[in-house]
Parts: sequence; structure tokens; C-alpha cells
Amino acid sequence: MTHQFSYRRIYHFIRRDLTIRKSNISTALIVVSAILFIFFLINLREDYRISVGEFISVFGLFYIPLGVLLTFFICKESHDPKANHLYFVLPVSVYERMAAIWFTATILYTIVFSILSFLAGQFAILIGGVLFGTDFHLLPMLSGEYLGLVMFFCIIQPVFLVGALTFKKNRIGKTLLVFVMVFFGVIIYNLILFTMLNYRYDVHLGDTFASEAFGMAQNDFSLFGMLFFIGLFGPVMLFVAYCKMVEKEV
Amino acid sequence: MIKIENLRFRYPKSKTILNDVSLSFESGNIYGLFGRNGEGKSTLMKIITGLLFPKGGACEVFGENVSRKHIRCLQEVFFIPEDFELSALKISKYEEMNSVFYPEFSKDQFYELIKEFHLSPDENITTLSFGQKKKVLIAFGVATNTKLLMMDEPTNGLDIPSKSQFRKIIARIADQGKCIVIATHQVRDLHSLINHLVILDQSKVIFDESLFEVSEYLWFGKPIEKDKHAIIYGEPSLGGKAVLPKLDKDETEVDLELLFNAVLNESDRINQVLKKKYYDTSI
Amino acid sequence: MDFDNSKPIYLQIVDVFYENILARKWKEDERIPSVREIAVMVEVNPNTAIRAFNHLQDEKVVYNKRGIGYFVSKNGYQTVLDIKRKEFMEEMLPDVVKKMKLLDIKFEEFKNTYDQYVNDIDDEKK
Repeated sequence: MTHQFSYRRIYHFIRRDLTIRKSNISTALIVVSAILFIFFLINLREDYRISVGEFISVFGLFYIPLGVLLTFFICKESHDPKANHLYFVLPVSVYERMAAIWFTATILYTIVFSILSFLAGQFAILIGGVLFGTDFHLLPMLSGEYLGLVMFFCIIQPVFLVGALTFKKNRIGKTLLVFVMVFFGVIIYNLILFTMLNYRYDVHLGDTFASEAFGMAQNDFSLFGMLFFIGLFGPVMLFVAYCKMVEKEV
Repeated sequence: MIKIENLRFRYPKSKTILNDVSLSFESGNIYGLFGRNGEGKSTLMKIITGLLFPKGGACEVFGENVSRKHIRCLQEVFFIPEDFELSALKISKYEEMNSVFYPEFSKDQFYELIKEFHLSPDENITTLSFGQKKKVLIAFGVATNTKLLMMDEPTNGLDIPSKSQFRKIIARIADQGKCIVIATHQVRDLHSLINHLVILDQSKVIFDESLFEVSEYLWFGKPIEKDKHAIIYGEPSLGGKAVLPKLDKDETEVDLELLFNAVLNESDRINQVLKKKYYDTSI
Repeated sequence: MDFDNSKPIYLQIVDVFYENILARKWKEDERIPSVREIAVMVEVNPNTAIRAFNHLQDEKVVYNKRGIGYFVSKNGYQTVLDIKRKEFMEEMLPDVVKKMKLLDIKFEEFKNTYDQYVNDIDDEKK
């Protein structure tokens, strides 16, 4: 009995995915590291420090877009009419493919990108010390904001994975469009729900009592929203991506 | 090994490509899959390798529904498509990255074949011509030692000496445990290898016969005057060559090109002589 | 190997064996190439090669030693000689005679040419 899920095959598949894209990925990482370095350096000129907020704003500027690009880049092979035959006949089960792609584009990517930005920042601090006398300090990387950003990326990444597997052309644009539409859909739905639930109370903004209710409702919704996002949205999207992969034909 | 029953397939917004196709492929044979352009040869191969899903009927490979992409199934199947692109790696790197997925892969065999094809493991695939890439893929596919090897126009793009090398390689690997299916128009390149012929026409199987059987019942050649009345199908352009019932005449080599044309034109009569009937009754 | 289409491939392979045995390339009780080696050599389906070997065994030209391979029979040379002689007398000669009659070639004429060729061949051997 051959198992449908083998960590060894996942490892080999990740290795294969990365090796055939080695030059592109390394070029992108080098360029982005250099840009990060310059951004950090500019930052240092102003106040001789990189604060948590400053680090997150620079890190976040590249972390999420690059992660999205990586997701699309890895899934490209499944759409290439000349390469996808060989891609799909490779003895790797759909679970393994999905696990490998997800692991590469979220966990592995986050680790590598974090290390690179840490090095770029720390190097900028060193060089800043030489150029304009920055005090040496450890880059404040691990923070609540950082973890929040990583979490946010891990949750929305499956959306782009679905898009990357579903659309054949203009994949990023279409995914964003659908995403924005779904997002607005959820907001409008929430609004309607909110209006319906609170209709009877005749709430108006500004009333002390009403704003209290408003605040409570907001809290409830954000809690619900958070739970929905963390607990459901990501896994559901991963499952959708899995289904897309299962039914993928050449 | 492969069991296809009442298979139907059509691409979205196009005519039916395969209609009620039933076939079986057994190990120990080299099948030739013939048919006019666009008659579904490549489609059939893609269905057997799980790259396309049937719209009706069943396709089982090693007893598994191939659309499920079961690992055990994928590990025993290799497909060499007609047109393909390989990753931009060195040949040795390509082998290293992809061979790990095939339990029976033989590195020795792969590098021997690469050498036979006058390629070097250090060459980068991007610098190779299409024919050379095909050689890399053929070498890889053969070295995977899968029980089922499917090839779509394998000799397209190969130079003249390589075609002979290709035949030698296939003769070397063909054995009782292995099933090889070749879809081709290059009848002359491969006629000495094929021992079972399947012909697709108008989305149906119109011929499915072992060539041994064919040579027992049909006679190919230039008929003498008194046999001319028995001609099933004749071709003035080929120097008067024709297909006749063999009866008590000496056995001749099956002329695949002639047989193919004969089946396309006279499938009923050919199949009658072979005591089999494939003609359409549904329309 | 180039095949002509008039004769089944397996019989053409048999002919190659006959030639090698007649030319004493393959001697009696000597091991000959395996089925697979022959299939690769002449680029045919191994099933076709097996048919050729079976035919040769039926004609008692070769024999099979289990697990070792095929060998030319003890009087393989003589057997092949008989087969080929019979084939010449029964199949080729009648054609030649028919052609001679058609072209009105007298036996004397034929004999002269025949002798000349025989001399040439003998000269070549020396």
C-alpha cells in the first residue's frame, strides 16, 4: 500500500519547485534585500533608530506583495500548456502538492524573508553607525505587530492560492478583483445584518446609549470576524484551492 | 493493465472527441495508436495518464480510477507528450530533481542513454534543440522503468540516427511486465516495433487487433491476376499494392501504412475478414 | 536492419541467422545472441524475435539450453544448407528458368556466364 501522504515526497517536491525557480527567486530576494537595506538606511538618518513601527512599515511593504507574487509564481507551472503535462504526471498526490506549495509560500517564505530583512536592517544599523554615527542596537523585529502581520499573510495567502490555481490569465488582477468584491460583499452583508438586528432599537450614532450598543455590536462583530478569519477563512480557502487542484486538467 | 469502458470525452464548446470507446491494453505489448489528425489519439493518452477527465464511462489503470491520481498509479505511468518544455536546469540536475519520485528509477540507465544520445549531463536544457530535449525526456521516461510508458509522436523531432537508436531502446526495454503505447503518424519509423494496432476514427475505435492475428488473415502485396477479384483495398500509387484475404497464401509482413488506409476506407470488410465487427450501430 | 515488405520480419531475421551460419560466423554448438540482443540489433519487437527463434528451433537449427541461452545445433550447418538448397531449387531456380525462357537465353550462354562467375569467386578466395 502506497501512502498518499509522504513527508519525503513533500520535501522533494518543495526542493524541485525551488530548484527550477532558483534564479528568479534568488534575484527577487537579493533585489528586495537591497531595497530594504536602503529604506532602513534612509530611516536611520532621521532619528538614528529603527523603531518597531518603522520596521513593520518597511517590512510589510514588501513582505505581503512579494509573498503573493511567490504564490502566483509557484502555481504558474500548472497553467503552462507545454509544461503542465509533466508537472501533473509527476507521482505526487494532490495533498502533497498543496502541502508543499502552502509550506513554501507561507512558512518557508516567512522564515527566509524575516531573516533577510533582519540581516538587511541589522546591516543598515552597522553601516549607519559608520556613516552617520547611529548607536548600535538590535533590530526590534519580534513584536506583536510582526506576528500580527505574519498571521494576516498566512490567512489571506490561501485566497491568492485559489486565484493562482483558478485563473489562467491576469491571475493577480482577477484575484484582487474577486477578493475586493467578496470583501465588500461581506461588509454589505454585515451592514444589512447589523441594520436588521438593531432596527428595532432605533439606534442612532451619537446617542450615548446607542453608541454603547454600537460599540458592543462592533466588538461582537470584530470578534466574530476574527474567529471567522482565523479559524475558518484560511482553511476554507485552502480547501477550495485543494478542490481546484483536484479538478485541474491540462 | 488499462481498461477503458464506454469512454466519452469532449472539450468544452467542441465536438465529441471520443464516443463510447472501449479498449484494453495488456502488458507485454507495444501498441500503436493510429488515427487521422484530431481523432483523439492525444486526448486518449491524456485521459489514460489522468491529465484529462472522462465525461462518461470509465478508465482504469492498474485497477484504479486514473482521475483520482493515486500515487501507486502515477508511479507506474510515464507519459512523453508530443510538445513540451523542460525546466531550465542542467540535465543532471533535472534527473536529480525528478527521479526521486519514481521508485524504480535507474540512474545508470538514464546516464547511459544520455551518452548514447550524444548528450552530456552537464549541458543546460535551455541550450538544447527540441529534438535533444526529446531525447532527454525519452531517456528519463525509459529510466523511470514504469510499467506503462505512453508516448505521443516520440520520433517527431528526432534525427535519422536517433530514430534507429530509439527503436533499439524500445526493443531493449519491452518485456512481459511492461506495456508501451505509441501514438504516431510516423508509421515507417516504428512499424517493426508495434505488435498491436488500434485505430481511432470519427471518435470511435474502428480497429483493435494484434498484428500476429492480422498476418494470419490478411495478405499484403502485389496480387497476381487471378487474385485481383479478391482485393479488399488496393492502392495504385503504391505500385499496385493491395490487401487481400490471406487464405492459403504465404504469410506476408503486415504493411501498416496500407492496413491503416485500408481500415479507414474499408473497415467493415477488413473486420469481417478478421471476424470482428467494430462498425457503428448507434447512429 | 532494413526490412522489405514481401516477407514477414521474423522470417527475414531467420535469414540473417542462416547467412551467419552458412558463412561460419556462428559455428556449431556455439552460443548465439539472446532474443533481446537480436531484437535490439534488428530493432524489432521482442515478440517478433521470439517467433524467429521458435521457427529456428522447429527447423532444428538452434537449440535452447535452459538458463544459458541459444546454441547452434550439432549439425546446424548441414540443416541450414539443406533448407537453403531446397529453397533455391524450389523457389529461385524456377523463376530464373522462367526469365531465361522469356528472354530466350540458351543454356550454353547461361553456362558460360556461370563458369565465369565461379572462376571469379575462386580467384577472390585466393
